[in-house]
Amino acid sequence: MLSVLLWIPFIGAVVLIVLPGLQDSRRAQWVALLLATFAFAWTIFLGFQFDFSATGSQFQERLSWLETLGLQYQVGVDGLSYPLVVLNNLLTCVAIYGSDPDKERPRFYYSLLLLLNFGVVGAFLSENLLLFFLFYEIELIPLYFLIAIWGGARRGYAATKFLIYTAVSGIAILGSFLGLVWLSGAESFALQRDLAETLTLTQQLILLGGLLLGFGIKIPLVPLHTWLPDAHVEASTPVSVLLAGVLLKLGTYGLLRFGLGLFPEAWSVLAPYLATWAVVSVLYGALTAIAQTDMKKMVAYSSVGHMGYILLAAAANTPLSLVAVIVQMISHGLISALLFLLVGVVYTKTGTRDLTVLRGLLNPERGLPLIGSLMVVGVMASAGIPGMVGFISEFLVFRSSLPVFPVQTLLCMIGTGLTAVYFLLLVNRAFFGRLITRSDGKVVTLAPVIWRERSPAILLAILIVVFGLQPNWLVDWTRATIADFSGSPAVLAQRTTLPEADLARAITLH
Amino acid sequence: MLETPTARHPSTAYIERILSGKTLLPDTPENTLEVVGILKSYGVVIGAYSKNLLYIAEHQFLELFPFFKYFNGKTSLSALLRHWFHDRINYEYAEYCMKVMLWHGGGGLDSYLDSGEFKLLARKAIDAKIRNNPLIRSLNQVFPDFLPEQIRQFVYYSVLGQFWDVMSELFLTLADRYEQGKITSIPDVVAHIKAGLVAAAGNPITYSVDIGGQSYDLIPKSAGLIFISDAAVPYVEAIFFRGTPFPGTVSYNAQAQQISPDPGRFAYGALYADPLPVGGAGIPPTLLMQDMRHYLPESLHRLYQNTTRKEADLLIKICESFQKSMFCVTNAAILGLMPHDLETTDPKEQKVNQHYLEGWMDRLRTSQLETVQTNSLQ
Repeated sequence: MLSVLLWIPFIGAVVLIVLPGLQDSRRAQWVALLLATFAFAWTIFLGFQFDFSATGSQFQERLSWLETLGLQYQVGVDGLSYPLVVLNNLLTCVAIYGSDPDKERPRFYYSLLLLLNFGVVGAFLSENLLLFFLFYEIELIPLYFLIAIWGGARRGYAATKFLIYTAVSGIAILGSFLGLVWLSGAESFALQRDLAETLTLTQQLILLGGLLLGFGIKIPLVPLHTWLPDAHVEASTPVSVLLAGVLLKLGTYGLLRFGLGLFPEAWSVLAPYLATWAVVSVLYGALTAIAQTDMKKMVAYSSVGHMGYILLAAAANTPLSLVAVIVQMISHGLISALLFLLVGVVYTKTGTRDLTVLRGLLNPERGLPLIGSLMVVGVMASAGIPGMVGFISEFLVFRSSLPVFPVQTLLCMIGTGLTAVYFLLLVNRAFFGRLITRSDGKVVTLAPVIWRERSPAILLAILIVVFGLQPNWLVDWTRATIADFSGSPAVLAQRTTLPEADLARAITLH
Repeated sequence: MLETPTARHPSTAYIERILSGKTLLPDTPENTLEVVGILKSYGVVIGAYSKNLLYIAEHQFLELFPFFKYFNGKTSLSALLRHWFHDRINYEYAEYCMKVMLWHGGGGLDSYLDSGEFKLLARKAIDAKIRNNPLIRSLNQVFPDFLPEQIRQFVYYSVLGQFWDVMSELFLTLADRYEQGKITSIPDVVAHIKAGLVAAAGNPITYSVDIGGQSYDLIPKSAGLIFISDAAVPYVEAIFFRGTPFPGTVSYNAQAQQISPDPGRFAYGALYADPLPVGGAGIPPTLLMQDMRHYLPESLHRLYQNTTRKEADLLIKICESFQKSMFCVTNAAILGLMPHDLETTDPKEQKVNQHYLEGWMDRLRTSQLETVQTNSLQ
């Protein structure tokens, strides 16, 4: 059942390339959208079969592949990965639907989008270290091409930088995985919770260090982040949506699943430093975002900042903070996807993202009033205004991390304040005031916004509000898994806990 | 004494244009279509406004709660529901204009309303109206200026109603003549409006109300108020030039003295308005644009369809066309009020004409006149 999720996009990617008669851009788009929607529907269908109380992974499938290497085709899904798979498949639909219907080389483009989906879903579902690594690497290839072929003016530079950074990330992760299996003497790369239990603390620290470097690039954490703003600025809107919405989550997911999951002891040693690193990331991201004049770069740096919250909560490592990690991942996925979609529309209509040029876009008749209103909703959600999912996730992060790392949490809270600063700057500059006038003093007439550009953003905005009002619909998936995840003896011994009842109450309250 | 050469006046180009019989608005077929089309819908709308203003002035006179004042006497549940559903003409805009005129005053009407004659007539009407209302009578004794001030407002209801009645007819005949092929250019439009204004110039402005079966004069014919100097000119001054600052997407800070304390220096009227704020909720000009969009002639609507945003920014396009048409009306008013004949050869008369035109141009310097020169629909 689970494999269907993997093989639909893969077969789709192949079909788009080989099947004749799909040269027409719109037809290729519809075929890709149909497949992606089917994959999304299948994910939802699996959700109905999902057992909320089960702690381990569900729908497991296992096939032997290269047994001598210890590589098996071994997939499963649990409360940690399921929400991310849903997010990924949803955003893939959004990205395909939101793509320019007159795309050049459409078959290759949509096939790469599906291949990207295949890589990401594969990585989330893998229960084998080597298989995870394979999917993690597979996802680089389509993304590289998507930036290098359909990107902006400096696409070659951005794509190469992305490739080099993420390749290094892959090498570091592979190094840690190989080291782990060899040092532990395991027979295969199958993911087992006790894989690192026999290792000394030093060994664990070194292996965890490799993972931190690898996933730290992917997340990205300052100072490993420089590839991200470049990639975002050059990537087309749908690619930015996927990049910010899902691909960055591979980093935090990996950190949680393999870093914290396999090396809880070493994790607890490094946790205070990780929390401090999170502070650096959050504040650096926020302060740099304030200085930007390119809307997309501002949103990209905001992404860097917001991913820092995930590291803070992961470092705190309490049952509630791990729930916060998942919720923040989904919340950031939805919000940043929305913001990138909207920036994309602004760019298509005005031809610029320069905040020193843009003005008055909220104008009801000549501007982009609905896009502007959605932008206000998006930035409010990002700044953690109550009633939207951003508030839930950030509140959970701060509430759960405060008892463990009070100083770092308080410093991260400043980051939330700064989010309001740069996003208000953005909204104030681009959307308020009188509409842009041309050099001859006349008001520009922007092309009208069509429903293909509006509807994905409306959908995401609705989800942001719905999950903001009903966070339980998000939290319930992960609760059992998280309880089990943080229930391993080594973790229990190390961390400062919130009582179970507290967790339940905190979740129900918010 | 050195005389400033007239050629130095910054608006010399416009002055020369008027003196040579051309118009402020460039004469193009598209401009003609826009102006005539928009004036046709404007004619329909101000016709409706005018009927309502006259209805309020005559039938809602000193009503304490004029709940059905926009219904022109035809009240029914379905009419009320339509009103609440906003399937109606925005009569509020007419009242807005009436209040702007009341506020800025001007013309012989303003001084008449302060005269003893008017106060006497108003007192008679008040006494008749509140004869059987002890509560209002006692209030009237405590605040004796309140009801006369209300009546001044009713006078403006009536005067604006009478003015728009003439203008509505004028604009609708303009559209008819355009369709018959008798009007083909912007100078034709201006000439038509000028002729209409001149023809109506001496029409008396009167106002009387019926209370208890007896007629009470408030502006008797003997007051000598006439169409051109006591309705048209104050209207142009109040609505075209001065206007009132209203909050739009561009806001003013009155505390920071961004609004002149002298209403005479106001420049927020129709000729100065930025078409962009149109479309925001509750902004008065938006109400007029909304009303006009219901009565756009097909040809103009088709023209608007060929633009980038089609229906989406219709109100702004209507406002832009409307502004063009208002420059034609202003043009007609300038010509109609010329102290001497345009073709005069007498140097003294020419000089007077020149000064007269410079006075207008000085006021139009910050208006949208420059914008309408090149503005074509986009």
